[in-house]
Amino acid sequence: MSLLQGFMYLPKKTYLHRLDPRSKAFMLAFYSVASILILNPLLLVLLVISNIPLAIIAKSLGRWVKTMKSIVFFAVLIFALNLLTSVTWNVEYALTMAARFVALTSAFSIFFLTTTPEDLALALEAGGVSREYSLMITMSLRFVPTLARDLQIVIDAYRSRGSKLDAKGLLNKVKAYTTLLTPLVVFEVRRSLMVAEALEARAFGATGKPTLYKRVKMTGEDYAFSLLWVALLVVIIALKITGVLY
Amino acid sequence: MPIVELRNLYFSYEGSAKPALKNINLVIDRGEFIVLTGPSGCGKSTLCRVLNGLIPHFYRGRLSGQALVAGLDVKETPTYILARHVGMVFQNPENQLFLSTVERELAFGLENLGLPEEDIERRVKQALDYFGLTDLRDRPPYLLSGGQQQKVAIAAVMIMEPELLILDEPTANLDPVSAEEILELLEKLRKEKDISVLLVEHRLELVLRYATRLLIMREGEIIADGPPERVILTEHANIVGIPPVVEVYKILSDTRYALKNIPLTPSDLASEIEAVVKREVGH
Amino acid sequence: MKWVIEAEDVYYEYEGGGLALDGVTLRVAKGEILAIMGENGAGKTTLVKHFNGLLKPQRGRVVVLGMDTRHTPVSALARHVGMVFQNPDFQLFAETVEDEIKFALRNFGFPEDVIEKRAEWALKIFGLEKYRERSPYTLSIGERKRLSIAAVLSYDPDIVILDEPTSGQDFLQKEKLTELLYLMKQQGKTVIIVTHDVEFAVRRSDRIVVMKAGKILAEGPPKKVLSDVRLIKEARLKPPQIIETAHTLTSRGIMVSRDNYPATSYELIRALGLGEDI
Repeated sequence: MSLLQGFMYLPKKTYLHRLDPRSKAFMLAFYSVASILILNPLLLVLLVISNIPLAIIAKSLGRWVKTMKSIVFFAVLIFALNLLTSVTWNVEYALTMAARFVALTSAFSIFFLTTTPEDLALALEAGGVSREYSLMITMSLRFVPTLARDLQIVIDAYRSRGSKLDAKGLLNKVKAYTTLLTPLVVFEVRRSLMVAEALEARAFGATGKPTLYKRVKMTGEDYAFSLLWVALLVVIIALKITGVLY
Repeated sequence: MPIVELRNLYFSYEGSAKPALKNINLVIDRGEFIVLTGPSGCGKSTLCRVLNGLIPHFYRGRLSGQALVAGLDVKETPTYILARHVGMVFQNPENQLFLSTVERELAFGLENLGLPEEDIERRVKQALDYFGLTDLRDRPPYLLSGGQQQKVAIAAVMIMEPELLILDEPTANLDPVSAEEILELLEKLRKEKDISVLLVEHRLELVLRYATRLLIMREGEIIADGPPERVILTEHANIVGIPPVVEVYKILSDTRYALKNIPLTPSDLASEIEAVVKREVGH
Repeated sequence: MKWVIEAEDVYYEYEGGGLALDGVTLRVAKGEILAIMGENGAGKTTLVKHFNGLLKPQRGRVVVLGMDTRHTPVSALARHVGMVFQNPDFQLFAETVEDEIKFALRNFGFPEDVIEKRAEWALKIFGLEKYRERSPYTLSIGERKRLSIAAVLSYDPDIVILDEPTSGQDFLQKEKLTELLYLMKQQGKTVIIVTHDVEFAVRRSDRIVVMKAGKILAEGPPKKVLSDVRLIKEARLKPPQIIETAHTLTSRGIMVSRDNYPATSYELIRALGLGEDI
């Protein structure tokens, strides 16, 4: 649940929230490229730490920390999988993969915590993406809390019929989760049908070019912010090419 | 011109031999408030979906007979054109509110229709005003109360200015006070905007007072159609549950204390009983 | 034991804010049909989730059939407290109707012959025999609702909690639900219904508890509670039609005001003295 919440818009009035999603996209671009170029796990950890001031500016430090805690399980899983499947017992490589995962998740979390699904969609549409695709993204994000709530109801119903969630053994755990997910998936697929009906009732698809009622504008702050990350991106690529960066 | 004209309408869902709608004949004029009821599975929802074109365009099947909505042939007209004439509000507000502010939710339908920005801005402001949503304009719809959500859902559909508003059990998940607020809103819309309302509902004691017409369906057919006071007393009404106040009328009807008129509300019933008591005291 | 559930000064706050229960004290007697009413967000569902241990009180305590819920796992409490959630689709875990009914029985470790017998009984009573091999998802919504109740009653819990059982149900389905209530009462079960439906509550329950903002506003016999005009207003409920009629008649001097207004058509007619010819 905390994991899902890490990618939900957290309404606050901060600098980062005000920024156009396109500027924040530059930030994401930097973190994405950096986390791929950097191989030294310690540097990757530094990359994650560099998100902390961003989280503070976004007044979302608590939520961000919770998200980081909840992905520890997955990071460890990635570490273990990489370790076990490597030909030579390459601890450093496994650490890098795990740290890279954490760095990417962290940056994306900051992005989604400070960007409404609509603003994201508007930015995409302004960039030429069709309404259908941008709506797909918006609605997926919008229904994340709904799905989280429904999952909790299914878990409650499951436990109320005497099933235990702390089953021993991996196979039993998988069995338990499959049983749990079936009613949820069936219901949510049904829900998507109802959502589709409602979309039809609101004339979705009437024209190929729907009006964009609200616009996102790039301000001076946006250009400055974007420039910062583009600059950092250039620097890191340069460092990599010249072999300084490892 | 009537808003809806259905004649000899039959419909079966694809892959199903049994017809979901049988021999439907229905004319709806402007300004009507129709309550549509019937046991689960009788075809109420199917009928509604023919009226806004979801059948046959979204749900495939065999549709025969005549189906005209605002003079347009449902079989030939795409749903996004029918959406300008028939608005539909569903039971669960969650599934019809997609965006993250009320304002954007209201604008959505008009954006889809490609209206120019200034028109959208004007109509959104009007709608926020009319429905008392101005204070909520920047709030996420999915964080509002159930009653507020349904209000937003209704506003988001009414903003497209349809002639017919269909609501499929819109108050099922609401507490009684919120439910009444929504029903009062519907009555206000009908009177002030001269639209027709088609309301699907099981709880007749809540809605009958607003109805100008009561339709009962069973197994795909319309088995009763007329003024609520008349229809509620027919034998068909026994399968849908008679409001307690009408029950009183029925019990007393064979006695010397028979009520003069059929009450649809507690206030009606009180007046009727008062009249009978005064009549008795006068003897 | 007279009280099957004792909630003492229960406080509960959801993570992320929202005090859902603000000092709730409630005792439920064995064999009673209790209706819990109030607007959405009043805390009704939060309260009943304490009765099978899904939620543990953060302050105060809840004792169910002598077990303190803070120290008892859900699986142990669920054995005696069955909960039917509002949406049947969230409670269908098996591949066939028959397995769905046996699901809880198997979880609780009943012997195989008991499971067979109980499943047959449930299938029969709920009219689901002809569907036994089918997937629950091929049933109609009304049938799925019946199945969700059958799957809980099959393991014979002492206490049954129903969350909004009449919501979205048609007249005939509500009649069936009433029959079911009486069956459960005959079996000596205690039934707790969370509902908005004042007409149903005034006719079918033994006692009504009204909640608002995490507190209990009032409780008592159905007719008494639902005749209290101020209370009804504060709780965002509407009075049942007959009671509202009686209020109006009283204010016009046609009826004498009482503590307990008539709640059904016959009671009203009799109270008015118009019932001789019936």
